[in-house]
Amino acid sequence: MSGQQNSVNEPNAFEKVVDFVDERVGLKTIQAKMLNEPVPGGSRWAYAFGSVLLFIFILQVVTGILLMFYYVPSTDHAYASTQYIIHEVDYGWFLLSYHFWGSSAMVVMVFAHMSQVFLWGAYKKPRELVWLVGLALFGIVMAFGFTGYLLPWDQRAFWATVVGVEIMDKTPLIGDFMARFLKGGPTPGQMTISRFFVIHVMVLPGALMGLAGLHIFLFRKAGPAGPFRGTPEQIKAKTDYFFPRQIWKDIVAMASVFLIICSLALIEPVVLLEEATPDPGDYHPEPEWYFLFLFQLLRLKIFGGELGQLMGALVLPGAFMALLAALPFIDTSPERNIFKRPASLIGWILVMLMILVFTVSAIINRDFLD
Amino acid sequence: MSNVKLGLLVFWTTFWTGFPIKMVIALLLLTAHIHPWDGIGLEALLLLSIPIDIWALGLCARTVFLERLSVDSPKGMGLRLWAQWAVFSVIYLPLLFLIVGGAKALAKSATEATVHFVEESFMVIPVAEKITIELLMWATPTTLVLIAMLYGWMFGLGALAQRQVRVSTPVDGSFQDIVCQWDVLRIPKDQPLLLTAFTGVGVVLVFLFWGLIPVSTPHPHEEYEFIHVDKVEKKIVPKDVIKSAEKVLARAEATIKELGKKNSGDDKPKDDKKPAAKVEPKPSPQ
Repeated sequence: MSGQQNSVNEPNAFEKVVDFVDERVGLKTIQAKMLNEPVPGGSRWAYAFGSVLLFIFILQVVTGILLMFYYVPSTDHAYASTQYIIHEVDYGWFLLSYHFWGSSAMVVMVFAHMSQVFLWGAYKKPRELVWLVGLALFGIVMAFGFTGYLLPWDQRAFWATVVGVEIMDKTPLIGDFMARFLKGGPTPGQMTISRFFVIHVMVLPGALMGLAGLHIFLFRKAGPAGPFRGTPEQIKAKTDYFFPRQIWKDIVAMASVFLIICSLALIEPVVLLEEATPDPGDYHPEPEWYFLFLFQLLRLKIFGGELGQLMGALVLPGAFMALLAALPFIDTSPERNIFKRPASLIGWILVMLMILVFTVSAIINRDFLD
Repeated sequence: MSNVKLGLLVFWTTFWTGFPIKMVIALLLLTAHIHPWDGIGLEALLLLSIPIDIWALGLCARTVFLERLSVDSPKGMGLRLWAQWAVFSVIYLPLLFLIVGGAKALAKSATEATVHFVEESFMVIPVAEKITIELLMWATPTTLVLIAMLYGWMFGLGALAQRQVRVSTPVDGSFQDIVCQWDVLRIPKDQPLLLTAFTGVGVVLVFLFWGLIPVSTPHPHEEYEFIHVDKVEKKIVPKDVIKSAEKVLARAEATIKELGKKNSGDDKPKDDKKPAAKVEPKPSPQ
């Protein structure tokens, strides 16, 4: 009888492995800390954006490493090796297409995450540093898109880079240096592709990992902001734990984004244009879709001429970014409810409408060019 | 709670709960070369969506009822509410498309006429400005009509949900008690077991996905085709290699012999030529 009881209480092989690891790294404590973390005011779908961003980044790293096994960063082989990935490597077309759509998903999620933080007033004291590091991460995500776009070395990649570097060239004081540093010559060539590749696969991932770690550390230090409505007592009364509600929402959001990216990769896989040449031919150069609104804005008469281009391409976006960086220090009111911050709400709606309207305008503009 | 708010709350959570499951089906159809937006693919997706929607609606509506209104819904609410929402949407949504489509067509023709009048009477508008002005002129009223129609749809869904609220039984206890009780009813206590089960389902789906997906691109570019060069493999026959090596050696031997003969002829003393300059040894650096 007692022997039977002993065999029931005896841990199985899996439990033994878990106990072994737990004894050494404190696995159960980590699990309890992560899953039983309180979520003030209860779980929300809006809190899933940060987790989804991290998830997309991890998959971008995985697909990026797999693509690097075959990609050759030279003007002689970049196009051919990308063609090889699409046509010869097993599932290469899917990995490249996933990586391509994943980068777009990352930009969308960054916009969504920043919008949520802005509307929730979560950038206010004591979370100013979380906001500032988040802005730097936004810049890194954009830089990822810009540097990765050149690598397939087709006409689209070449001319998008030419347009982007030309805009950068207009920056006072450092513009010329930055443009020369990135291009490494008068026109994009071997030096450009080498530099873009190194920045894309070495510099930016390192910077992103470091800053994302700092972002999470600062976030955990300050604690979650919670909902913008309700008294502290009401929020406390509705508080629940990360498991099961928030983790369920995070899993659903991650799965949805992953499935959307996979579907886009299957419906619209990456197809290369003609190999890059310094002659655009019939091709109308344009940047990635998330820079299209800025590109269309520069087509307006008001931004014509040297001064207008400088204003549209750099002064206005620069001023906007500076305003975002200064936001926690300008908006010092403790009020977080977006419906009691009309200027912020109207400002956000106007910016979103501007981006939407000019992006759609740029798409319509293609018909006029064709 | 207002009809619109209740409708939106239940609809929004139901949509996101069912969405990933429907996406999995759509993705598996895509990998098997069946488009989920037309023909048999669409029919299959719609058919499979029915039980998913009934389950998701029942689950989400009960959660909203318990957490927001402190009432517990009657049994079989998912199916009942789904049937009512389906009938209402079947009537309302075609109406929505018709009205929004009409508003768009009207706004577009009015915009075209206005811009044409301005250009004829006052000035020519540059292309970039014209595109944005036209877009704003027709998209603004169309969007307003769309929002109004969506508001009406949510109002209708909310009104149908309110009927279920009225027949639900009130639940006593604080918010925390209700939430805990609801969690206990549907979520296993064992956290690692639940997460392992999720991971297991994910792994199975991943295997299914990689098993179905085409190995090479299903969409080769029409204009810039990949030129496939067939590699001709050379067969190596050891005898032939030895023979050819022997031939090369024989040829090399003959060449050396010929050069030797030539050199011996060249070595004969030539009196008319100056003796070669004597090379002085370089002094050593020490």
